[in-house]
Amino acid sequence: MEIFAGLATVLTSPALIGWVVLAAVVGMIVGAIPGLTASAAIAMLLPVTFYMDPLSALAFLYVIGKSGRYGGSIAAILFNTPGTAASAATQIDGYPLAQKGMSSKAMRVATVSSVIGDYIGEILLIIGVGVIAAIALMLGPPELFAIYFAAFVVIGSVIGKSVVKGLASAALGVLIKMIGTDPITADERFTFGSFDLLGGIGLVPLMIGIFVLAEVFSQLENKNAKTIQYDAPSSEEARARNRLSWAEYRPCVPHVIRSSFIGSFIGILPGLGSAIAAFVAYGEGKRRAKHPDEWGKGALEGIAAPEAANNAVSGPSMAPLLTLGIPGSTIGAILVGVFLIHGIQVGPTLFVTSKELVYSLFAAGLLGIACYGLIGYFGAAAVGRLIIKIPTRVLYPLVFLTAFVAAYASRGSLFDVWVMVTAGFTGWLMKKLDFNPAAFVISFVLAGGAEEAFRQSLLLSDNGLMIFVTRPVALGILLLGIGAVVFRIRSLRREAKQDEL
Amino acid sequence: MQRRSFLIAAGAGALAAMTGTTAAAEWNPRRPLNIIVPYNAGGGVDLYARAVANAAESRLPVPVVVVNKPGAGGLTGAIEASKARPDGNTVLLTSSGSFLLGSMFKEAAVNPFESFQTVAQVGNLKGAIVVPAASPFQTLADLVEAAKGGNLKWGHNGRGGVFQVAGQTFLNNQDLEATDVPFKGGAKSRAAILGSQVDFGILGIQQSRGFEAELRVLAIFADERDPLFPDVPTAAEQGFNIPVISSPIILFAPNGVDAEIVTGMEAAMADIAAAPEFSETVEAKGTVSAYLAGADAKANLMAMGETAKPVIDALKAASN
Repeated sequence: MEIFAGLATVLTSPALIGWVVLAAVVGMIVGAIPGLTASAAIAMLLPVTFYMDPLSALAFLYVIGKSGRYGGSIAAILFNTPGTAASAATQIDGYPLAQKGMSSKAMRVATVSSVIGDYIGEILLIIGVGVIAAIALMLGPPELFAIYFAAFVVIGSVIGKSVVKGLASAALGVLIKMIGTDPITADERFTFGSFDLLGGIGLVPLMIGIFVLAEVFSQLENKNAKTIQYDAPSSEEARARNRLSWAEYRPCVPHVIRSSFIGSFIGILPGLGSAIAAFVAYGEGKRRAKHPDEWGKGALEGIAAPEAANNAVSGPSMAPLLTLGIPGSTIGAILVGVFLIHGIQVGPTLFVTSKELVYSLFAAGLLGIACYGLIGYFGAAAVGRLIIKIPTRVLYPLVFLTAFVAAYASRGSLFDVWVMVTAGFTGWLMKKLDFNPAAFVISFVLAGGAEEAFRQSLLLSDNGLMIFVTRPVALGILLLGIGAVVFRIRSLRREAKQDEL
Repeated sequence: MQRRSFLIAAGAGALAAMTGTTAAAEWNPRRPLNIIVPYNAGGGVDLYARAVANAAESRLPVPVVVVNKPGAGGLTGAIEASKARPDGNTVLLTSSGSFLLGSMFKEAAVNPFESFQTVAQVGNLKGAIVVPAASPFQTLADLVEAAKGGNLKWGHNGRGGVFQVAGQTFLNNQDLEATDVPFKGGAKSRAAILGSQVDFGILGIQQSRGFEAELRVLAIFADERDPLFPDVPTAAEQGFNIPVISSPIILFAPNGVDAEIVTGMEAAMADIAAAPEFSETVEAKGTVSAYLAGADAKANLMAMGETAKPVIDALKAASN
């Protein structure tokens, strides 16, 4: 088992352990700061990792992704503002508990559930990824296109409130991705003769703009809004109320396990992410709960279910990335860049060329989960207090500056800074007008690969589009994607009908 | 990391200056030498640049700094280097094959001959014809025979690149027709070959390393066998006289840099390319040290341009 060799590599390297611990802390803090997500932290810290060895760099960013997803729950419970979109579901039951003076208990449930969910996801990944990689070797451009197609369809169907605005956001992402050189003929497209546009729009400045700068603008707008923090008072009686006993946690266990599998499954699908997993798990948990009427009023299960699911996404979302080179999430898309910078190509051959590295990365993930679990269980409240103490008028200007530095540093290009600023304004406007910036970014990420695979398929085909029908695997995946849409439309209709009644 | 290696380099440089063993008498750089690499860190050219920087630590009085300026298929960095102040502190290390062929395909703001002086060649990326291990083609002759009959598909790492032109040169030379399928980069085209998505492909020979069980290399495009792949025959050995298109890794200095500095740099590169630590670094990735003096490197590159011209003209005509 390669994972044991990986664990040995990780545990015998103090420097690497140091990076993992640091990542656990950084991720938790960034995740807990309202508005800053793990993706934002990773995009901003990317240039720093150029100077690290590949394993440390990847482990550092990977663990930030994990602990950032968890850190979001701290803000959700304490301030009633989700630190990340993934923890918006946690807020539903977390904040009522905080109002009752049981924020520490709520955070402990969140921590334990996140850790269990993350471990289940990671272990499923470790067991399954070798098999997926072996299969992936047999997949050609037509099958890859089918997977991209399914991913697009699935994003399209879960885009949120306004389907039209969601689709428009996704379409804009595709359009922006078309700028640059044609992937097949190498002709220029939409460059308007500009030399800077020849290489296309960079993902990192785009993401920093959308996720960081736009957020700073939004915070600037709401700067007068006060956050009220319900912290657990430190009296003896309060401490007793916040203790978490096994008897209390036991009813959560089935929810945690179910949610972990839901999260893992959603994680494998490219394009979805933690936020969707958390809401699906919350909905499913409530449907099956013994006392569904308590959900929303401070049920511990209502915290456990979404928290387990959003962290279970982390591991399996690496599977399409590592085996097919298809990034399943925005975090994944940045990690592709990190692999590339260190001269490692993701895709089916990764398991031939860099097997040790991959399993060491998974081992670092296992260690990282333990780190944020321990720090979170005993220190989440302290992290929350720390964040509320940093005045926003200090925090956001700092973040604002860092965004500029990070956008410039990733390629040493001033043009990227302009991209970042433009993306920042665009992202802010999109949010204001209820468009969907996340759909925009993920379709930007997927569009390039999808187009490449589609056109390669046509070159490989002797009879045009028929190649997607004559290759059984490609056909199967395409049908699955269409099936998912049909299923989604039907369930939406049913929900609409229930709402009417 | 960087800081430490900088300190080591500076220390070693100071030592070298004290004992008076600088590589070149005419060239006494006082400031760090910036090598612009117009590709991402981690790629083939970047590897050569880092190997140069590494070997220069004990051979030059100043540190060598690798500056990655990726974008526009290598053009971004090349343009920046051509506009650098011609004081000899900023140079360009690039895949000269891609640089030259790219400028032949499309009118570009810079090209290797008019915008730069050729300092020296330090390496060479050679192409090879590769088939999946399960392929019925055992030799180049098998492949040529099959290509005469049917519409074979072949993969390469991007249109306008060295390996597309190398493959097309082979097809034109043998009067064959086949459909090319571009993939983005060597690793993706390798994955397509070993997954039998295409019938054959042209890869950098170094890409076949570690994939001996999945791939069969039918021939290398070179005048002689590669010392790291002694079992791979050249195309000529198998009776196919195909003009060689490869990608020499060449150090360019912007126009206007003093001839003395260029000569000094050339001597330093000869020294560096012969260094054991240089060979070790590049051989670890399946590539070799291949030094050529500036004039020879330039002559070779010009000859390759002549060879490629009819092929490129035909490709351009076909796409219009």
